[in-house]
Parts: sequence; structure tokens; C-alpha cells
Amino acid sequence: MSGSSRGTKSEAVSTAEMEKSVLRLEVNYRGIFQKSLAYRITNDLVYAAHSEGKTAFSNGRYSDDPQRNGVPCANFAFFSDALSEDDLEAVASASMDIDRANVVVVLDDTMVKGLEPWGHYGIRPINEKVIPGGTLLIVSRRKPEELIRHLEKKTFDYNIAILPGDQSFAGLWYYRDDATDVRTIAAVARVAPEIVGIHSVEEYVKKKYNDAAKVKSLQEAYDSVVVREVKQSEGIAWPHSKPKLPSWDSFDEGIVVKSVERGFTLGPRGQNRNPNFKRGTSKTQRPVIRFDTCIKCTLCWYDCPDECFDPTADGLYDVNYEYCTGCGRCAQVCPVDDCIVMVDDLNFEDNSSPWEMYKRDAEGYVKWLEEKKGKVRFMPSPVTGKGVRHTEIKAAVPFKQDGGN
Amino acid sequence: MTTELVDRKIYEREELATGTDAVAHAVRLADVDVFSAYPIRPYTGVMDRLAKFIADGKFDSEYIIADGEHSQFEIAKHASSVGARAFAGSSGTGWLYATEALAATATDRLPLVALVGNRALDDPGAFGVEHNDAMLVRDLGWLIVWASTAQEALDTTLIAYRVAEDPSVMMPCAVAIDGGYLTHSQHIVKIPTKEAVQKFLPPYNLGTRRMHPDNPVSIAPQINEDWGMEIRRQNWEAARRARGVIYRAYKEYNEVFHSSYANPFFEEFMMEDAEIALIGMGTVTSAAKAAVKLLREKGVKVGYVKLRWFRPFPAEELRESLSEVRAVGVIDRDFAHGGPDDGGVLFNDVRAALYHSSNRPQIVDFIGGLAGREISIEDVARMVRITANHKGEGELVTWIRVREGNGAGMERKGGD
Amino acid sequence: MAQGWRGKEAIEMATTTGVSKEEFKNAKLYKSVHGIDMEEFYTSGHRTCQGCESALVMRDFVKASGPRTVVTGATGCMYVANTSYMTTPWVVPWMHTQLGGGGASAVGMAAGLRALMRKGKIPDEKINVINFSGDLGGGDMGLGGISGALQTDYDMLIIIYDNESAANTDIQATNMTPWGAQTTFTPTGSKKRIMHDKWKKNVAPMLAIGHPNCKYVATACATFPPMDYMNKVKKALSIGGPTLIHTMDPCPKGWDYHPRYSGDLGQLAIKTGIFPLYEIIKGEVNYTYDARKTKRVPVREYLEKQGRFSHFIEDDFEFVQSRVDEMWNDWEIPGVAPIKGWLSVRR
Repeated sequence: MSGSSRGTKSEAVSTAEMEKSVLRLEVNYRGIFQKSLAYRITNDLVYAAHSEGKTAFSNGRYSDDPQRNGVPCANFAFFSDALSEDDLEAVASASMDIDRANVVVVLDDTMVKGLEPWGHYGIRPINEKVIPGGTLLIVSRRKPEELIRHLEKKTFDYNIAILPGDQSFAGLWYYRDDATDVRTIAAVARVAPEIVGIHSVEEYVKKKYNDAAKVKSLQEAYDSVVVREVKQSEGIAWPHSKPKLPSWDSFDEGIVVKSVERGFTLGPRGQNRNPNFKRGTSKTQRPVIRFDTCIKCTLCWYDCPDECFDPTADGLYDVNYEYCTGCGRCAQVCPVDDCIVMVDDLNFEDNSSPWEMYKRDAEGYVKWLEEKKGKVRFMPSPVTGKGVRHTEIKAAVPFKQDGGN
Repeated sequence: MTTELVDRKIYEREELATGTDAVAHAVRLADVDVFSAYPIRPYTGVMDRLAKFIADGKFDSEYIIADGEHSQFEIAKHASSVGARAFAGSSGTGWLYATEALAATATDRLPLVALVGNRALDDPGAFGVEHNDAMLVRDLGWLIVWASTAQEALDTTLIAYRVAEDPSVMMPCAVAIDGGYLTHSQHIVKIPTKEAVQKFLPPYNLGTRRMHPDNPVSIAPQINEDWGMEIRRQNWEAARRARGVIYRAYKEYNEVFHSSYANPFFEEFMMEDAEIALIGMGTVTSAAKAAVKLLREKGVKVGYVKLRWFRPFPAEELRESLSEVRAVGVIDRDFAHGGPDDGGVLFNDVRAALYHSSNRPQIVDFIGGLAGREISIEDVARMVRITANHKGEGELVTWIRVREGNGAGMERKGGD
Repeated sequence: MAQGWRGKEAIEMATTTGVSKEEFKNAKLYKSVHGIDMEEFYTSGHRTCQGCESALVMRDFVKASGPRTVVTGATGCMYVANTSYMTTPWVVPWMHTQLGGGGASAVGMAAGLRALMRKGKIPDEKINVINFSGDLGGGDMGLGGISGALQTDYDMLIIIYDNESAANTDIQATNMTPWGAQTTFTPTGSKKRIMHDKWKKNVAPMLAIGHPNCKYVATACATFPPMDYMNKVKKALSIGGPTLIHTMDPCPKGWDYHPRYSGDLGQLAIKTGIFPLYEIIKGEVNYTYDARKTKRVPVREYLEKQGRFSHFIEDDFEFVQSRVDEMWNDWEIPGVAPIKGWLSVRR
């Protein structure tokens, strides 16, 4: 057989028929903190679906490894009630990433602001892979509307489902079992019973854990899921474009990349930064700063491992949230009480300069900020999986009229 | 044979030089900026000589005695990355110890030139020649060229810099010479003048990839699956472009030095009207040429192809050269245990090239000269007989000058 | 919100640290945190973990070194995480080198630049040559190469950034991993609680003692005491010849703690005395945080804040404490030369 005739014929194959029975699930999570959790979820779903006689397998997105704390990662699971293992593997998983999913699970609701797992990817919407009629399932304490306002507007209708719960962060060696794993599986059974039925999930969890509390958690989760349709009119025009990958002959040979161009001036965004990889989508919380009580000690800027504080002419330090990963080191090192505080990133609309806002209207800024902060402060225990201490403050530190000057 | 008069404009003098001496002269004349050394037989002579040049003030270069071949080649690689012309070299197992650095030098597209004094790989320890060491980098993006005389070693080293540093190539180049034979035997070599070399070899210019504060770049960031194919494709194209550059480089070399390299990729010896051809690399050439001459006197229509450039491999040129022969014998000074038809590395490369030949000749393989064993004129004559008489079926490989056991004849059936 | 002892003291140290010996008068040492250069030469947009201390090791060495610097990074977190292809956070020239190639890469660059300057091929000026290698690359695989580099006379600085594991391959033990720590190579199990039963390799003194050309070796922590590390970089670059700095880098990923506490853990490593802080200037040991003169914080306070020690029982805490006590009380030169610790002259 000659090469050419063989080529033209094989290129014409269609996978549409095989595609019919394939169901894809994506689990978006925060690197390392939620790695064990994400693997539990996809592994358990595969076991449970297998118990129904389905073909199923799972994998993690290879380019996420080695994982970095906070960086968005993804696991995938694939299911079919018709295909063989080989066929399912071939149809569903021929690439390192997937391009569509029936169910997209999100284990940290701040990821609705977008994902940038790697350099040169651009910030991609969390609902990018949801198919028509598919479901975006988010573990969150928020109402659907609070999340939809961050999502990309699609050209079709789909569903958003909320599994009420907090971001479950454990670490690498220490795993904190707060039942988020079985609760998420139950929620998948609720929004996509074609993947796995709740009965199979229950049986599987009973057998695996022999723990009545776990079973109870999953039943509660199943009942507590809120599902709502998202119309194609809802959401926002996605503000970030997707970088185009160049052909082999249109970029420099010798694996050479131009350095970030040298450039620094005082003030917001005065430091040149890597334009093609912003780390802002790594954060769950953002540091907010009371410029009025700042003593200009420099330590937030000094301790920041992401170089996102911009020194200003008045000796304060603006923060560039596009690059802030939300680690909290600045809040930890700040010697002034309640001056830098970590706050849920979903409380904020954009990444504009807080210093500029402060300079425009200092008192207004502080008032706005204290509203965003609320009265509850979060202090994570040193060992990641050992939980978060919540304390309530009585009142905000009063505005200092001549502060920060 | 009369001694050729030395043109004083081109050559400063003649010297009785080993292959490694000859390469040392080329390195000095190329105005290499940095070289790094680590001792291993039999390439070490080049470093000994360069060190003496430095000690005598005849050569201005940074000279680093490394702590091992891995460091030696990392030093050379990074010297090359700041825009310094660099040189290193090794042999046998030392070359393998540097393998990681060798691979990265190629993928970084840094035009280092290295001498490989071919040596058998351990174990057991052996000083003699085998080509497996240099061949190890054949798929890694290195250019590899074999020289078979001291003069050719000098010429080839200069040409290697010219080709490697060509802006359209930018690949490292290994100059291979047979350990023990060429590295250590002494021949009269014409040493070019610095002025003539400068006329031939332009300064090394890494352009916008140079590591310098005035040219801020990041070299070799981590990739994921979005980039590897395109980067490999760039390297593949560069290796293809190298073929044309090699032609140009020899033409320029001939012009400056009045030398007579015809086809740069290989030398054809008595190939006109040949029916049988042998092909080999390195010092086996002397025995091969002598045998061919003697057989020609007896009326045997045989010729010899001395291959120089092993990477890029001159498949098209070989198809052309061997288009009229009916049988080809390949001399492998290497082994590739368990490879296709149990043949050596060169055998299978030549055979692959001839697959698309319009007049596909019979092809057989000879494995010989391993670990420094000699290959004599008689051995080559025997190879010609076997090649001529082979039916192209059954065993394709003959081991030359190996002690066969239990009365099993050294000669294959039908060999005589 | 700072924990009581953290913030105020840090500021105090920030304004009082700043040894300015005659021999470093050209080093332009920082005397106050407010005097630190504001411009970044390693800038935002790198795929390092939240709270990564090693990223600060990068940021601060190049800040102290300035724009006339060339850098190589050996394979490891600070290679793979920092530079995702077609993007880079580096402002100065940076190049990858192989895992064990750190020392040699610096030699190659320094030699190349020296030759080109001497031959007039590039302008003659001082260009700082710096390599960074991790504990796996620098302390294990590349130790021979670093040794070779320290035997040369080239001006260059090698930084071993030590996060006490092969963090880039998702946390395997190296010879710099502390006793008892969990890694994927040394997991705790039902039969063996402690799989990693080796004491941390003491790399900096080993290199200092064995290399007569090396005039400056220091240990450091990027953020504590403030400016200490950056000033050590400045001292190393100004003294000439090959120099070495070994940094202690708390790693939120591998040590398993919340990223906000990286600074606290670095500080605790020094205050508990488990990581001695010193510089060796032409053979003279100068403690830059002298744990003999300060009441050491019990090591437990350091260990129990990390998930990698979450399997420790009372005996383990006591064992580690006893070894740290021995280092400070019994060694001939605490932290540097274990003459009375476990090495002694036979009588």
C-alpha cells in the first residue's frame, strides 16, 4: 500500500460514534494543598462507576507536575457504558489536556476568576470546557449569582451547581479528612447520575470507609446541592485573550527567550514584570492594606516572594494583585495590628491599584476596605491540614487622618 | 614521491605531529578563548600540547583543568554561551561520563568543537580504538566527522568550527580520530599561518543568544508539551542545513589553503568503474587503499569510500557514489549488538541510505579492529572477496581477525 | 498580623545589622532595609509556590548583585518553576545548567568573559557570575563540580539554595534532608516510623575547609535577619575569587506548612540553632547570629510547625534537641568543625 492512499483514507475517520457514550469530568484544584483530595475524588468516582459495570479511568494533567502551592491543577476522569478500555483511552485522552467536559468540578471557588496553570497560557475561564447542558460544580459558600458574574459568557446554556462548603486545604504529608471527598462524589452523582448513581456511591463509600459519618456526609451533600441553569446571556465577555502558539519557524532557535525588559519607576506598576505569565490566579485570599496605619517598615515588600509590592514616592507599598499569589507572608510579617489582612479574593471585583484608590480618597478607601474585610480574621495553623482559626474582632482600627503621609 | 613545497603565505612550517598535536595547532590557530581538560587516554595529548602552548606564551586562552568530564563539558558549554570560542575533548568512557552535558550543548545549539580520540568503552578497561564512543552522540544533534590523517585532523578541526558556528547551523561538532593510531603516530603536517586561518574562519558570533548583561536573555526555560515538537523540528532543520554549509566550508578551505578536498563528505578512492566498493571511517583507510590498489593491479574492479562526515549523514551523495557498484562491504569499527541483522552502526546507516537507491547493491558488514586490533591489507582484501562473492542471503556480518573456536573456520562458506 | 516576637524584633535587626569591615568597604553593604535597592532583576511572574523562600533567595542575590550579572540555574525547583518557556521572570541574563553542572557552569561563564575581555573582544568591566544549585544539585550530585569551581581563581559566586529535599520531583530525600523528615523516599510507616535516619550533610564547612582559593563561605537565610543574606552576597562578590553561600530555604510544599509562615520558619531554624548562621572570611569564622550567646529556642517549636515531622514522638524531639545541643556545646567550632562533636584526635 502506498503512503499517500493510506494517508488520505485514514484521515477521514470519525470518532462521533464512539464519542456518544463518553462522559468526561474535570476536577480543578489548588496544587499540593488539594492534590490528595482531588485524587481521592477522581479515584473514587472511577471505582464507583466501575462497580456499575462502566469502563472508567482517570489521570492528572501531566504538565501540572511538579505542582506548586496554589497553582491551579486539574485531574480528569472518563466514563463510558459502551466502549472498551482502549477505545475510551483513545477517544477521551489522546492529549495531555482535555477540551471539553460534561462536569467541571471546582474545589476552590476563587478559581471562577480564571486559571493560568502555566506560562504563555493566558488566563482561561473556569467554564471553558463545560459543554452545552453540562455542569459547573463548585464547592462554595456563595450564591450562584455571586460566581456567575465572574464566568465567561457562553454561546449556550449550561448548569451551575453549588455544593455548600469551604475550600478544603490539607497539605502534602498531613491529610485532613473533612469529608469533602465523599461530599463531592455525591454531588457529582446528583448533577450527573449518568456518570455514577448515588446508590453506587453509597455502596462504595460504605465498603471503603466503613464509617457511618462519611455516609451521612455524602447523603447530606447530595441533598444540599443547589443547581441552577446558566443562560447564554449570563456571564462576562472574557477579558483575557489566549496566546497563539507560533509555528516552528516563527520563533528564535536555541531555546532563547528575551528577558523581562529592565524598567523601574516609583509607583503603581512601576516595576516591569513577566508579561506572559501572571500568577494572580493562584490566590484564594488577597492581602489588603491599611495605608493609613502603615509605618513604612518595608517588610511586606521585603518578604514578598512574588515581587508584587510597588514602592511609591510617599514610602508606601502598593500591591499588584495581578501577580500576587496570596501566600500571606506580607500579612504575617507586618508588625502593625490589622494593617495587612488576608481577605477572600471573591470579595473583590478587579486588580486595580489599592494605593491609587487610597490617594484619591483615603477615608473612603478605608471604609470600603473594612467592609470587604468584615469582622472575622482567619489564621491558618502552621501545618496546613490542621485547620484555620477564626477570630472575630470587635471593631475596625479607626481611620488615621494623617496616616501614610 | 616528492616533498611538497610549503607556501609560506599559507603555512608557517612543517612539523612531525601526532593527530592530537595537529588538532592542538588547529585549536591554537582558531584563537579558541576557553578550553577545559580532563585526562583520559588517548585524546589527552591534545590537552598536553595546548597546556605547553599556554606555558610558552604561544596561545592566549583560558585553560581549566576540570574535576571530571561532566564538568569539563559543562565549562565548555557555558563558555560558549557567553560568546567565547571553546574547545574540549575526551575518549571512550570519559566521553560517556560527559553525555548529559553533550546532549544539552546540542539542544542549546552551542557550536562547541570537541576532539574524540576514539577508545573502546569499559568494561574491561582498554585503550584501543572503537568508534562507539563518538557514535553515542549520533542522534543528539551533534555533527560528527572522522579524520584519518594528522593533516586532515588539523584541517577538519578548522572546518568544524566554520561549519558549527555558521549562523544557519549552530550545532556542536565532534572531530573523531582513531585512538592509538592517529592520536599517537607522527606524520609531517603543514601548520597554517594565523593570517590564513583568519581568512578562512570568521570570528565566533553568537548574536542575540550571547549571555551578557548587554543582551539579557533567558536560555532554555522549561517546556511542556506545547513546545518540544517545534524546538526539535528547528534542530532537525539545522542538521539538514548543515549539509549545504559543509559544501561551502570545504570550497572556501580549498580556496584559502589550495587543498584539494573534492566531495567534502567522503573521499572516493578508485571508485571510477568500480563494481565492488568498501566503505569505512578513520585510519582503516590506509590498509583499505593499499588493498584496493593491489587488487586493481590484479584486475579486480574495486574501490574504497572513506567516509568523513557521519552526521549529517550523506545519504544522497552515497547513493550517487555507489549507484554503479553491485556489492558494498561496510567496515564497522564499532558494534551494535542485537541490531538489525546484527550489523554494526555504520552498516545499518549505509544500508538505510541505499534502500532508496535505484540500483540497490548487495551489502555486507565487517566488524573488525575493535579495542585497537589491527586491520591489515590482507584483511581488507579478504573483505573484498567476501563482498564480491556474497549472495546477499543468510549471515550478513563477518567478524574480521577474531579468534574463532573449535575449528570453526575463520572463512565463511563461499568466502573464497 | 504579626506574631508578637516576629515583627518588632525584625525591624530592630534590620536597622542594626550591617557589619562593615575594612575589607568590605567596596561592597556597598546595606545598612538599613530602607536603603535596599528597589528595582527588581528577578521579577514577578514565576511558577514558584506561594510563600516560596527560594524565590526570595533568587530575588535577593540578583538585587544585591545588580544588573551587570549573568546567572546560571541548575536543574531543580528554581529552574523548572521559575521559567516556563516563552516567558521568564529574569531581567538579567539567565541560563539553565544541568543538575550537577552548577560549579562548572559558573567557571565556564567566568572563563569565557575573562578571555573575551582580555582579548578585547568585549569591553573590560566587572560582570558578576552567579550560579545557583539546590541541595540535590549542589550538595549531592554537583558537589564535585562545585569543589572544582572553588579550586579556580575565577570571580564567581555559587549559591546552594537548600530546601532540604528534591522539591522539584515532589519531595524526595537528599543528603541535606534533616533527620526524621518525611519525604516520598522516606515515608513514615507502621513498622518504621523514621525512614530518614541520616543527619544533615554539613556542606558549607566541608567546602570551606577543603578549598584554599575560596575566601568567603557563608550560610544564610533569605529573610532573616533582614539584609544579612544580601550583604553576604555583596561580600562574596566583592572579595574576589570563587565564593559560596549556603541558604536555608523553608519550603511550604515539602515541609508541609502554610505559605504565610516561611519567614517564621527560617527565623526559627536560626534561633533554635538547628541551622547555624555564620560566614567564613579567609578562614575566620564570624557568627552572624550567635546561638551561643542567645538563649536558643527549643527545636520543638520549629519542628512541630511542619507536617513533615508530624509523625514525631517525644523521643524524636529529644533526639534532635540533643544533637543540636551537642553541636553548640561540644564542637570545636560550633556548626562548622565537629572536632569534639563526632570527630576527635586519637590520643
